[in-house]
Amino acid sequence: MIINHPLLGPRDAAEFVYLGDASLIDRPDWQAEDAAEAFYEYGYLRDNPAGQHQELWYHEQGDRSWLVVTRDTLTHEISKVEMARDVARSRGRSK
Amino acid sequence: MSQTNRIKGGLIDRNQVMNFTFNGKAMQGHAGDTLASALLANGQRLVGRSFKYHRPRGIFTAGSEEPNALVQLRSGAYQEPNTRATVAELFDGLTATSQNHRGSLEFDLMAVTDLMAPFLSAGFYYKTFMWPRAFWEKLYEPMIRKSAGLGSLSMEEDPDSYDKGFVHCDLLVIGAGPSGLSAALAAGRAGARVVLADEDFTPGGRLNAETLEVDGTAGADWAAQAIAELAAMDNVRIMTRTTVYGAYDHGIYGALERCTDHLASSGGKPRQILWRIYSKRAVLAAGSTERPIAFGNNDRPGVMLAGAVRTYANRYGVTPGQQVAVFTNNDDGWRTAADLAANGVAINAIIDTRDAPAVCDVPGARHIRNAAVVDTVGRKGLKSVTLTDGQVIPVDCLAVSGGWSPNVHLTCHQRGRPTWREDICAFVPGADLPPGMAVAGAANGSMTLAAALTEGRAVANAQIKALGMTPSRKAAPKAEDEPRDCAPFWHVGESKNRAWLDLQNDVTVKDVKQSYREGFRSVEHLKRYTTLGMATDQGKTANIPALAIMAECTGKTLQDTGTTIFRPPYTPVPLGALGGRSRGKDFRPYRLTPSHKWASENGATFVEVGNWLRAQWYARPGEQGWRDSVDREVEMTRNSVGICDVTTLGKIDVQGKDAAEFLNKVYANGFAKLAVGKVRYGLMLREDGICYDDGTTARMGENHYVMTTTTANAVLVFRRMEFARQCLWPDLDVHLISTTDGWAQFAVAGPNARNLLRKVIDAGHDISNEAFPFMGCGEVTVCGGMPARLFRISFSGELAYEIAVPARYGNSMMQVLMEAGKEFDAVPYGTEALGVMRIEKGHAAGNELNGQTTAYNLGMGKMVSQTKECIGNVLSQRPEMLLEDAIKLVGFRPVDRSQKLIAGSHFITKGDEATMANDQGWMTSVAYSPSLGHSIGLGFIKSGDTRKGEVVRAVSPIHGTEIEVEIVSAHFIDPEGERLRA
Amino acid sequence: MSRPISLIRKGNVCVPDYTLTSAPPLAGTDITIGGARLTAPADLAVVSIALPLGGEAAAQKAIKTAFGTALPEVGKSAIGKNGARLVRLGRDQAFVLFIHATPDAEAVVAARLKGKAYTTDQTDVWCALEISGPDSRAALERICPLDLHPQAFAVDDAARTSMEHLGTLTIRTGENAYLLMSASSSAGSFLHAVETSIKNIN
Repeated sequence: MIINHPLLGPRDAAEFVYLGDASLIDRPDWQAEDAAEAFYEYGYLRDNPAGQHQELWYHEQGDRSWLVVTRDTLTHEISKVEMARDVARSRGRSK
Repeated sequence: MSQTNRIKGGLIDRNQVMNFTFNGKAMQGHAGDTLASALLANGQRLVGRSFKYHRPRGIFTAGSEEPNALVQLRSGAYQEPNTRATVAELFDGLTATSQNHRGSLEFDLMAVTDLMAPFLSAGFYYKTFMWPRAFWEKLYEPMIRKSAGLGSLSMEEDPDSYDKGFVHCDLLVIGAGPSGLSAALAAGRAGARVVLADEDFTPGGRLNAETLEVDGTAGADWAAQAIAELAAMDNVRIMTRTTVYGAYDHGIYGALERCTDHLASSGGKPRQILWRIYSKRAVLAAGSTERPIAFGNNDRPGVMLAGAVRTYANRYGVTPGQQVAVFTNNDDGWRTAADLAANGVAINAIIDTRDAPAVCDVPGARHIRNAAVVDTVGRKGLKSVTLTDGQVIPVDCLAVSGGWSPNVHLTCHQRGRPTWREDICAFVPGADLPPGMAVAGAANGSMTLAAALTEGRAVANAQIKALGMTPSRKAAPKAEDEPRDCAPFWHVGESKNRAWLDLQNDVTVKDVKQSYREGFRSVEHLKRYTTLGMATDQGKTANIPALAIMAECTGKTLQDTGTTIFRPPYTPVPLGALGGRSRGKDFRPYRLTPSHKWASENGATFVEVGNWLRAQWYARPGEQGWRDSVDREVEMTRNSVGICDVTTLGKIDVQGKDAAEFLNKVYANGFAKLAVGKVRYGLMLREDGICYDDGTTARMGENHYVMTTTTANAVLVFRRMEFARQCLWPDLDVHLISTTDGWAQFAVAGPNARNLLRKVIDAGHDISNEAFPFMGCGEVTVCGGMPARLFRISFSGELAYEIAVPARYGNSMMQVLMEAGKEFDAVPYGTEALGVMRIEKGHAAGNELNGQTTAYNLGMGKMVSQTKECIGNVLSQRPEMLLEDAIKLVGFRPVDRSQKLIAGSHFITKGDEATMANDQGWMTSVAYSPSLGHSIGLGFIKSGDTRKGEVVRAVSPIHGTEIEVEIVSAHFIDPEGERLRA
Repeated sequence: MSRPISLIRKGNVCVPDYTLTSAPPLAGTDITIGGARLTAPADLAVVSIALPLGGEAAAQKAIKTAFGTALPEVGKSAIGKNGARLVRLGRDQAFVLFIHATPDAEAVVAARLKGKAYTTDQTDVWCALEISGPDSRAALERICPLDLHPQAFAVDDAARTSMEHLGTLTIRTGENAYLLMSASSSAGSFLHAVETSIKNIN
């Protein structure tokens, strides 16, 4: 596969390490009432869609950036690649 | 034997004579021959035995689809089995042998299996070798193994080398036949970066095998001119002898280049290269493959595909027979008759299944309409054919054409399904092509030469436009549309004898019908049940006729019957090529510690730790075994001072205004208040609360920390910290960079550690216990100004430091430390002594941090802060992980001190049966403690912290041992930590 | 490549002269096979520069002042004063490469940047090989998945990738010249990988 890195352009997927569902960005609030339950869901429960999937890839043999890749699990078509840091900020993970 | 079947013409160089042997017989051929064409030239019709029935077989095709002519090439360690003679280029000195027979090729003892054929039908193995069960291992399997397989391996290491490579292009053109050349010319002229790959050694495809003309010149000459034009373009790369074998995601194609297979010796160069081709667009111009018609005894040497027969005549100047007949269901078969007749070869008959007029005039040939071959005679070489009406025609070669199948394989590698086109009786690529691919020429069902040339250009131009480039305006090459009418005809129903479909796997029409009767009707079931389409040729000639027969049985259309799924590789790829350079000591990279040179000059035995080579121990003369060396290293360290290269521990430079806050989040214990000049032990958890890694982090400055990780987890911890930095807390000002390789770091441990270091650390740096206490750190200089980092940390439990210098000075630093340490009898120690000392001290390491254990299990539960946000602390509090009787890390010593503990032993309470139900835990690490004079161990046992003094049994059913052990503190040495604070 | 650190005196006591000598793993490499030459640049210092979050503009300004050239875009490098090469590896990370023999390269860079960016000495983290000559690209094609065609990878372009399982930073330093940097601990495997590639095309 080829991942079109937002800064570096198209790069072989072999340069990357796959992690999984981009929902791992959404780490729960450790002080919330339901923190234990929320962390259980965060740690163990994933959607497994046949189709569009947002997933985390790490450019280990590149610029060490984490990316959020939107990939169709049926066709492997990649429709979007974003810097995970930007996604994290947009999902409200700023301080 | 002489070249009795050579005729005039062909693309061979008759001035170059190539000597070769087949089964020891000396033969000659010419440059430009394949082994197959040379064998035919020499009149060698019988070339092998079939897989199952050991039937005599000859050459069937002239290309990579060959099912029959599999031979062994070369000898000794270079021997290569199952090579298709039809694609093996002849070279001077080639030795080839036939395979799959016992005794000689002519008198194969295994031919008896042919007489047993009635018992060996499809599914035979599945039905027969089921019972009795006990027979399987002793009788059936050895017997099957002995008779299975085709050629044999040399059983020696492959002496050739292989390489890999990466090629990038705008447009990949797969196949250099008429449509491929036309496409490459169009794209090349437009200025695109083009790769043109072809499996053959002479590009041109069927232009080299035909008498058709392009732009008014002979096809082969036009192809040579086209190649010359392309070769002159800087933007075009021509890769001959290169098979594009797979279409992968996002325009990546796999290709195998055979670099030296056509040479007597590789000359030390890679024999083959496995290319990864990155293309923006691709044109598949893979041509088509002719298929046979099934009739009785249609597998005899001399029965060949019609296109192959004319290829041998036109390209190689060889006639496969002297008395030839053609059996066809289409116009194309007639051209074989015409081409051979033009070369003076006698054409006895043209047997056409159609009731149609002659396609062309073939002098001397009888045209037999509406007829078919029902049987043949000639066990080791065709003698005659018998027609449905009973007439017998004497021939030594029968050229058969059942029509042509487009080579759609690569269009299906991403689950594309081909569609059936009734007008050409063939499957053509479906609409669901791999993204970026377009198909041209015969591969697309455009069967005539004119159509192929036109379509090649048109498809390439469309791809050029899609790339945002401007197509060349130059017109397509011109040719005539040759007649290509075809009427479906798959097998001769009147045949009573076995009619072969898959020659390689000995699958007959009867087998397909049986498969249908027994319910294996889907094409995938048919394949598995009969082995149709398996092995080296993947049924390139056999599949479509077999599917047609299944369609007849089921009454379905061929479209509804479908094909099996084509998967890479298109043709076989040697495992050696897939392995590339990764073999032997080059299997993976190795990493050396900075003091490797010194260690290897001083008796070190090395051990692989991941990719690292680390000194395991340093043997001295007179020592009887590793234990002698390790015991001595431990004793000398604990008595005076020892030095160990610990560079392999991961080092991560952490900087930023928010570095402290960040570290406080990635470590389970507190890091917010670590003072400058101090080091702290840190424990990392996974988000699920399981321990992940540990190490120390030193605060070198206000915003500067140096973290160490375990050797094994250095890369993983870095990756995880980047995740935390970018994805979890994206607005912390913190920056990470690995410095593992940058600093040579040495543990200097033992009561004389400070005395030794004082000799190398420059004056002005006070390292007294008061000024530089346990868990202190700082920047110093050594040996007159060399910048160094000093950490007062101890893994051994002794007074110890770790000192780091820039790695390029590391080997020298080791020498200096040993030189300065002479007066203290300093000793270098390796990983074994390091391990012994950490077990004596009760430090957890990889055996204890094994991905299953928690801080609570390790006795560090209180370290996990619940008053801050950090990875893993929430889930570490799950009730199941905090049970009162959870396993706890403790020490163990044998009640009988002379007994040796065994790692992996499980603990059983005294009096209990040694069963899983009574399992209390397990021994993680053991060592002989030179300091205590007996074996010691660390391990996890239920409620271990409250059971000190209890005696339990350490049971190892694998070793058949049961040892009584006493539960003790994990800290065997200096439990109060007085030494390391000294 | 031996670089002694001078004799010292500790107070009034004369101590043995312990001298550290430098031994970079690829020092002295100079191999020519066919149309490609492989050399290890001597005394190449590498210092990483991290741009503080929120302080990027100030850091970039300090870099420009220090090196006389602006920090290039990601994937590019630029040559500044005294031949120092700035290589932008990511949004917030760059390397500066310069010839500097003594083990204080980080201090030199830090002093020039006046605290506007974070610096880490990377000199000994890496080993470097320069491959030059007309066969360079053909040789690299055997191990390098990057597209090194001039249209795709111009002079001064820089990219990290993996070659024969080894992380590698490639910088195009000339029409037919590339600087390759990889981990110093695996220098032997790295040299073997590149050298084999050259041998395999000849």
